[in-house]
Amino acid sequence: MLLAGGQGSRLHALTSHVAKPAVPFGGKYRIIDFPLSNCINSGIDTVGVLTQYRPLELNAYIGNGEPWDLDRSYGGVHILPPYMREGEKGTWYKGTANAIYQNINFLETYDPEYVLILSGDHIYKMDYTELLRRHKEAQAACTIAVLEVPMSEASRFGIMNVDENDDIYEFEEKPKKPKSNLASMGIYIFTWSKLRKYLEADEADEKSANDFGKNIIPAMLSNGEKMTAYRFHGYWKDVGTIDSLWDANMDMLAPENGIDLYDTEWPIYARTPIRPPHFMGPEARVEHAMVTSGCEVYGSVENSVLFHSVIVEEGAVVRYSILMPGTVVRKGAVVEYAIVAENSVIGESARVGSSPDGTEDWGIAVVAQNLNIGSGAVVPPKAMVTRNVKGGGAK
Amino acid sequence: MMNRLHGIIFSYLSNPDLRELTQNRNTCSIPYGGRYRVIDFMLSSMVNAGISDVGMIVHANYQSLLDHVGSGKDWDLSRKHGGLRILPPFGYAGKHENGYRGRMDALAGVRSYLQYIRQDYVVLAGGDVAVNLPLRDIFEAHIRNDADITAVCTTHPMGDPKGSDYFSIGTGGRITDVSVHPSIAQGCESLEVYVLSKDLLLSLVDHCAAHNIPSFSVGVLQAMSGQLKICPYIYDGYAARLQSVAGYFARSMELLDPAVRADLFAPERPIRTKDRSDPSTYYGPNSKSVHSLVADGCIIEGEVENSILFRGVRVEKGARVSNCVLMQGTSIQAGAVLKYAITDKNVRVNPGRMLMGHSTYPLAIAKNEIV
Repeated sequence: MLLAGGQGSRLHALTSHVAKPAVPFGGKYRIIDFPLSNCINSGIDTVGVLTQYRPLELNAYIGNGEPWDLDRSYGGVHILPPYMREGEKGTWYKGTANAIYQNINFLETYDPEYVLILSGDHIYKMDYTELLRRHKEAQAACTIAVLEVPMSEASRFGIMNVDENDDIYEFEEKPKKPKSNLASMGIYIFTWSKLRKYLEADEADEKSANDFGKNIIPAMLSNGEKMTAYRFHGYWKDVGTIDSLWDANMDMLAPENGIDLYDTEWPIYARTPIRPPHFMGPEARVEHAMVTSGCEVYGSVENSVLFHSVIVEEGAVVRYSILMPGTVVRKGAVVEYAIVAENSVIGESARVGSSPDGTEDWGIAVVAQNLNIGSGAVVPPKAMVTRNVKGGGAK
Repeated sequence: MMNRLHGIIFSYLSNPDLRELTQNRNTCSIPYGGRYRVIDFMLSSMVNAGISDVGMIVHANYQSLLDHVGSGKDWDLSRKHGGLRILPPFGYAGKHENGYRGRMDALAGVRSYLQYIRQDYVVLAGGDVAVNLPLRDIFEAHIRNDADITAVCTTHPMGDPKGSDYFSIGTGGRITDVSVHPSIAQGCESLEVYVLSKDLLLSLVDHCAAHNIPSFSVGVLQAMSGQLKICPYIYDGYAARLQSVAGYFARSMELLDPAVRADLFAPERPIRTKDRSDPSTYYGPNSKSVHSLVADGCIIEGEVENSILFRGVRVEKGARVSNCVLMQGTSIQAGAVLKYAITDKNVRVNPGRMLMGHSTYPLAIAKNEIV
């Protein structure tokens, strides 16, 4: 069950038209491709995708699930929005746990022994069969994937405190004084019969926030259910902020630091548009960058990720930036430390973003989709542009 | 309206002058244009014109083609009714053992399929030409002209005359004569794409079978230009016929011209192909890549110039590739140098090797070879 209803408000210029899981990532993908591909690579062929916020593009993207081999006559991928029930009942998904609660009927159709809960905003490759093996071996009611994070950063995460068998005895959300460095990755396996009981109890509690981290996990712990941790080793990143989204994209350029997208043993699948190969012009300069089909590069690109159909004209410079599908960078424009969303045009000699200068005001510049940044305009670092910018240096 | 038109692609065509490139495949499934097989162009032209039913006539050496087109789903041709049909020879024993002698021979071989075509009109086309044809326009012209047969041709001859047909167009705008495989080019060169009604097609197939006439050009166009109204449709956009290794190389290099790509990859008529889920292409630090067409899934750490790179090609550090066509999965290892070479699928060129052909005689390296 893939929770894909989040708005992603911290990415707001990028999520004004799409749900966060549908945000483009890594040149060829959208964020949701990672958990979906992990599922099929792990042999999970029945997946529910719970949607709520701006679902149209996400629904169209998932479609019949064919790119992930999830077009099945039994099982496959199901889009699960909230819905009305008899007697005018029915609400939006109130929280992560409530979203699953509202789909108890769906789950019962497949009568599963175990349920895997995933979120649609993490970049990682994980074999869920290992997680399930751990869950079965420990005979747990719930197994939570955890990542060892530096102790200094542990207070930013939900921390699992475990005993010598890695069984969880305590869960602390963003503790000021963390007792362990095992951060929850938001990936859970539950024994379905147990989870169902707790979901129903949680729903009956009017004071509950109906959230896995805040309510279900603590309730199970305090009832003495067997909860265990599964230690994950490898790349994992929550891409919920502009900085982490930018970072994670940059990580894709260096497979030794991140995920090897070229590893054919664990492919990440995507629905891809029909485009010809990309073209490198006679004066093109491209280094340490990803370029995707349909692009035409006549200028200079370094340390950047270009999605499909991006055009970089002569004399334009793109550095440390992420250019989403259909972006155009006109002659002489300079785009640095920026994220430009789909189909936006950076006018001639315009400047978007700048190199880090050590000041507080510095940050990644973001241009939302379908915008025009006029010729010679300047978009300062850390700006989040959601309207057209006139030419000639206007801010 | 387009569901009145049915597509037939002659997908058995092969040219021995393509040597290594047709060792394990016929001309129709030669990789071309960085990520396509030649047949993708005709198949996509048909789909983009709204044609929903396509028969592909195959004869021998078609395993690679079948692997490529699969159920036809990448062209939206995997349908409950109609869609893509692969047509190996059927309905007779012994005949055609050495391949079809011509298009009428091939059509006779699939006669029982033709009779169940649901549409009133049929477009016959070769799967060995890379062209993005406006078939909707062509069909409209056929109806407007009230033609018996519409034959697509170009005023820019580009094939080898000995392997091509040429039309003389009379004052009434009809094709009055056809030169089949002449020694020099004369008139408009045929793209060997024809539109005609299903009823006429069936009667022509029966007539030719009864008279042992294998060739459409000779037995129909040439012999019947007086009695049938055969109208030309002139298409002067880019078309590539792959007739020899040097020709394949030249046609590939032409793709570096933006005007050629604009014709062949017209955005309103996209060329579809088998999906392979490759990641984007990665260019390493200190790599250099200019004036090249590069597909997804490559890792380029060396230098690439004036080249066409298919999906999943590796060019390692210090390797230098210029004026080359590197097909899917080619690996050029550290320090190797390649000029004027065509490497077929999964060729590996070991470190430090130097391979050089010439533009008039490019070096072709067969599939899976290790240099």
